[in-house]
Amino acid sequence: MHSSKKIVVLGHFGVGKTSLIRRFVTDTFSDNYKVTIGVHITKKLVEIAVDREVSLILWDLEGTDEIESIRDSYLLGTHGLVFVFDVSRPSTFEHLGNDLKIVRNKVPETPLMVVGNKSDLVDKAELKTVLDENELSADFLTSAKTGEFVNELFLKLATLLVGDA
Amino acid sequence: MLKLYQEEFANKNMQFILLDSEGVVIESDQKLFDIPVDSSILKLHPFFESLPALFDSAEEVFDFFCIHLALKENTFTTDIKLLKKRDEFLLIITDLTEHYDSYQSVTQSRNESVIKTELTVLKNLELQERERFKNRFIQNFSHELRNPLTSIMAIIDILGDTKMTTEQTKMLDFLKESNSNLRLMLEDTLSIGMIDAGKLEIQHKLFNLRKFFELMQFTYSAKTKKKGLKFVSFWDDRIPEFIEGDRLRLFQIVANLLDNAIKYSENGTVSFKIGLNQKRANTANLRFEVIDTGIGIPEESQEAIFESFHREQPTQKGKGTGLGLTIVKRLLKLMNSKIQLNSEQNKGSVFYFDMSFKYPLPSESKWSEHGNKKRANIGRKARKKYKVLLVEDDEYVQLTLFKILLNTDSFQIDLAYDGALVLQEVVNGDYDIILMDVDLPNLTGIQITQLIRDFPFKNIKNIPIIGITANAYQENLDKCMAAGMNDVVIKPYEKEKLLNTILKNLR
Ligand SMILES: Nc1nc2c(ncn2[C@@H]2O[C@H](COP(=O)(O)OP(=O)(O)OP(=O)(O)O)[C@@H](O)[C@H]2O)c(=O)[nH]1
Ligand SMILES: [Mg+2]
Repeated sequence: MHSSKKIVVLGHFGVGKTSLIRRFVTDTFSDNYKVTIGVHITKKLVEIAVDREVSLILWDLEGTDEIESIRDSYLLGTHGLVFVFDVSRPSTFEHLGNDLKIVRNKVPETPLMVVGNKSDLVDKAELKTVLDENELSADFLTSAKTGEFVNELFLKLATLLVGDA
Repeated sequence: MLKLYQEEFANKNMQFILLDSEGVVIESDQKLFDIPVDSSILKLHPFFESLPALFDSAEEVFDFFCIHLALKENTFTTDIKLLKKRDEFLLIITDLTEHYDSYQSVTQSRNESVIKTELTVLKNLELQERERFKNRFIQNFSHELRNPLTSIMAIIDILGDTKMTTEQTKMLDFLKESNSNLRLMLEDTLSIGMIDAGKLEIQHKLFNLRKFFELMQFTYSAKTKKKGLKFVSFWDDRIPEFIEGDRLRLFQIVANLLDNAIKYSENGTVSFKIGLNQKRANTANLRFEVIDTGIGIPEESQEAIFESFHREQPTQKGKGTGLGLTIVKRLLKLMNSKIQLNSEQNKGSVFYFDMSFKYPLPSESKWSEHGNKKRANIGRKARKKYKVLLVEDDEYVQLTLFKILLNTDSFQIDLAYDGALVLQEVVNGDYDIILMDVDLPNLTGIQITQLIRDFPFKNIKNIPIIGITANAYQENLDKCMAAGMNDVVIKPYEKEKLLNTILKNLR
């Protein structure tokens, strides 16, 4: 059985959305920052179990610190969402609760993964304090740079979506 | 005609594609890219894979902005419109690559600068936090070190008064020097901590600058000689002898500069000069200068040497915390001056600073000298022997106290070691002062003091009493004072401190 699922990746600018997708799709990483304008769409076929494949259509959105301003048309018909923040920059998670509320309002009942990226920049103990202090809970703490938990993140979401279908 | 022009220009960047409900191309004007009729648009780019989900929607118009289409032949940034036309769908793709590219570069620089600012602020916060932590740590740590160091100093003093072989004396001298170096470093460290915490205040008191200069001359000609260096000093006779300033801090600054000069010179000369820049009605601007012929400081390090824990030569076996010049810099800043440096590698360095001082008119300074003489007289008066009653049960402490007091040749000492005997002694003895062990076994020093203070005869009840205790807790000290002691000396004490306390309280 083959199905395709649209996943929108969103969050503040510079948090590593493009890098996460690049790591997942081509297993590469670049230190250069090139702003994403509008949306870049890529596709990856993943095998979530033996003989069970799913095409993930990944929508890499332009980052913004005003989640409210995200164009609704991008979210149309999406099956899943990944909200990314940057663990090394408080401004990207200071209003996480509120940001998530806005997203959930726009696309209710769509599976959503909350991801703290750039985990390589902060040491583990410090990271835990940061998260606790801000009462954040992330589904994954990833590093697009080292690849840590990047595959796990997308596979988990894919499995969730197919299970939903 | 206009319509023709319109078509010519408006349509240039647009492609119209008609699709069936499966996404198969029915018709396309191929303005931007070629897509064969009868092929599925879903295969063209993953963007189009999301369209079928919309075909069933109740809405009739969908607008997508700024969609990046990377196709085989070309890459576009487009706006895409989807319109429902009965059971067919019309796609209008507008190529806005140029427009969005300019937007890209604006956003790029904006985002980059926002991120950079945020990271800089974070970094600064972190640095500040570290600096605070470091200062707190240094302050607490050096404070804690003071007590054991004082004990060591006292024991060294006591040891020095015992009979020793020449070899032992030598070792003790070494121990003494190491310990006093350690203590200096500790004081330096504490000063830095206090400056950083804003707790250090500059005092302005009248002092004899000429004497200060002579002390430096004396101390440093000895120190330089020890290392085989020459010492040269200069004093401008127009400088007022008495000035108003912080003698202790000035000493700390000049001593650090001179120590530094000696440390980094293997041969040659170290000079110390105090010169006059300018003299007004009652202020004098002076230049303090320390010159060496040592290794010098390369231009690129001339800033860094004033930072904490910097060492010009890390392998140098010289002693010190590496804090000396930092202290100089910060103290001078507190005193509204600034350290200046001229240096050439392998030639030597000149450190100097200018500072203004108020100085009293001649009549005032005479008065000060007079004051000094008066103090000297007290010293002479001290030549008469004072009668001391020592109340102490520990033989060892008795012995060391005896030695300290007898060495001055100013005291005659009686001993009592039992509380009950003390009162008798006091009544008969006509003592000038009582040294009282606070922690006596039967009657404590505090109780004895209370008894003495309750005596009906003035000459007895007013005898100065100095408590001696190992218990440095404020609570204990308060009790001693409340019982009527004039002062309390904490064990282990330095000889000087003890003698000073005694002299201060003699009646
Ligand atoms: N150290 C580290 N750097 C990362 C990581 N992920 C991304 N970066 C860097 O962060 C910068 C921004 O990454 P992008 O992936 O372009 O961020 P984005 O979220 O797509 O940014 P916008 O498109 O502007 O929203 C780049 O310089 C990346 O190299 C990570 O996991 N670790
Ligand atoms: Mg991006």
